[in-house]
Amino acid sequence: MLRELTALTRREFLKLARNPQAIFTSLLLPLLYLLLFGQGFNINPASFALPGTPPSVVQGIVLAYFRGAPNYYSYFAAGMVGFVAVTATLFIGANVIFDKLFGIFKRTRGTPAPSAAVFGSRLIAGAAQPILLAFFVLGLALLFAHVPGLTGLQITASIGVAGATYIVLAIVLLSLMFATVFLTIGILLDVPQVYFAVVNLINLPVLLTSDALYPWGSMPTWLRNASQFNPISLAVNVLRETFFGSSYYPYPPEIYLLGLFAWTAVLVSIAILLVRRALRPLE
Amino acid sequence: MQTDGAIVAENLVKVYGGKVRAVDGVSFNVAPGEIFGFLGPNGAGKTTTVSMLSAGLRPTSGRAMVGGLEVSHHPEEVKRRIGVIFQESTADGDLTGRENLEVAAGTYGIARSEGRTRANALIAEMHLTDAADRYSKTYSGGMRRRLELAVGLVHQPKILFLDEPTLGLDPQGRAGFWGYVQKLRKETGMTVFVTTHYLDEADTMCDRIAIIDHGKIVAEGTPNELKDKIGGDVVTVKTAPGAPDMTEVIRPLAGVHTVQRQDDSYRIKCTSGETLVPLAVEACYRVGAGVTGVTVKRPSLDEVFLDFTGREYREEEGPSATDRAVMMQRVRGAIGGRR
Repeated sequence: MLRELTALTRREFLKLARNPQAIFTSLLLPLLYLLLFGQGFNINPASFALPGTPPSVVQGIVLAYFRGAPNYYSYFAAGMVGFVAVTATLFIGANVIFDKLFGIFKRTRGTPAPSAAVFGSRLIAGAAQPILLAFFVLGLALLFAHVPGLTGLQITASIGVAGATYIVLAIVLLSLMFATVFLTIGILLDVPQVYFAVVNLINLPVLLTSDALYPWGSMPTWLRNASQFNPISLAVNVLRETFFGSSYYPYPPEIYLLGLFAWTAVLVSIAILLVRRALRPLE
Repeated sequence: MQTDGAIVAENLVKVYGGKVRAVDGVSFNVAPGEIFGFLGPNGAGKTTTVSMLSAGLRPTSGRAMVGGLEVSHHPEEVKRRIGVIFQESTADGDLTGRENLEVAAGTYGIARSEGRTRANALIAEMHLTDAADRYSKTYSGGMRRRLELAVGLVHQPKILFLDEPTLGLDPQGRAGFWGYVQKLRKETGMTVFVTTHYLDEADTMCDRIAIIDHGKIVAEGTPNELKDKIGGDVVTVKTAPGAPDMTEVIRPLAGVHTVQRQDDSYRIKCTSGETLVPLAVEACYRVGAGVTGVTVKRPSLDEVFLDFTGREYREEEGPSATDRAVMMQRVRGAIGGRR
């Protein structure tokens, strides 16, 4: 099993490395969002405060509006991690469908390689991309703080080893979860157009019912409540709470991680059932 | 039915959707070391049969034994014992020839160092050394086929399934490919099960042949046995347009076995074409039917195919299969090898 998994994973990474256009565009998308969208929406709610309002009150408004973040950009940069987890995993399933169309998947299915190796290799390579991109996003957002004229990610809490671990766990779990979902859909479907139609029915509602991009203070109550169960929100809450402190979060990051783990466990379990059936040795 | 062959099919049936009987009670036995040809028009059930034998598809009923194992009970072990060369190219265009082979070896659980050794040996064997480190999407059709064959052999199978292996190759490429297969059979005693688009290949390369039509085997034997079943020569007499029906005029002539009319043409199976031609021409003129053409053929597999299925093989099989191969090549080119 391990040799089969290693061989197929190697193949996936070789293909990834041989596709510089895809790497470039996967980096370009978050870069544009960080550079344009995040900067463009970097509204300071304190600017609406009445003249003479004490600075501590103004600061309190800002912190409450952005759940402890000192500005929208810092709040948004953490949300971008959730955003790239969705967008960077979209094509994983499409690649399976193209491999089916070109006979490459047929070749793999004609070998005794276990379905776990076939699925696992694509999952590892597929999840690696959003994980790496998430750290690229965070690094870039931190770097912007040193670029004149740009706002950057300002971390106001002490992260520590536990915090760093939580961040890594949140990113890994979220990436694995979305990679599993889109990979499973790709294995179950055979037509690219149908795949993208189905995927769009998932990624947009999931992204837009999370608090990844909206300022917390501007969200209506019903959306805030709904977003608390959203896996993207759960992961982003772990990051924000670690970056900006726990004052504006009802639960500690461990609880959000637990929620995210539950989502991942449930979806991976469903995926295993479906994929085992779809990739059984004899059709 | 003997059950000690390398490949044994016993009353294999595959029904799709409860209605379509794609394979309808197929039985045959392929001896170890034999090259067995499986011929049939599009939709006859060839690929479905190959899929059931190569552990890709579960039969609705019947039994398939490959390498001594029942396929339905041991699909993964069967996959370890067989090599399959698919009709379409399955090599990964974004990987080099060497990488394709190394990855293929890994999927059979072969250690990386051993996989590398086998890849190098196969690259040399298939004369791909100069192209081994080029992306396989840059390979010519013949090189791709040789790479496919190498991929199918990397785990050293004892039984090889070839599904239209030389489709789209020029005569030189076809000859080269079959040269490798013959060499393999000679050196390793490998059993080869082949479906081919080219009847001349089946005629010269296969020890035995089965013809499948509408899911049933309609003929089986060595190429010579099948030709003998037709019985002697085939004479085709073409009469002038508007001539009367000559069937009953020709049928009583000496040496005639059967007469089939197709418009103004009469396909006559007879003991000796040379003897029949003057008799047939004279008979036609005697009743006022002008003769515009006469041909005499020694039986070929095309004739055998026509005789058993009632259809011309090349008209059935050629254009669609070739078009598909050309289309796939165009699509590959259009997307620049991106998967």
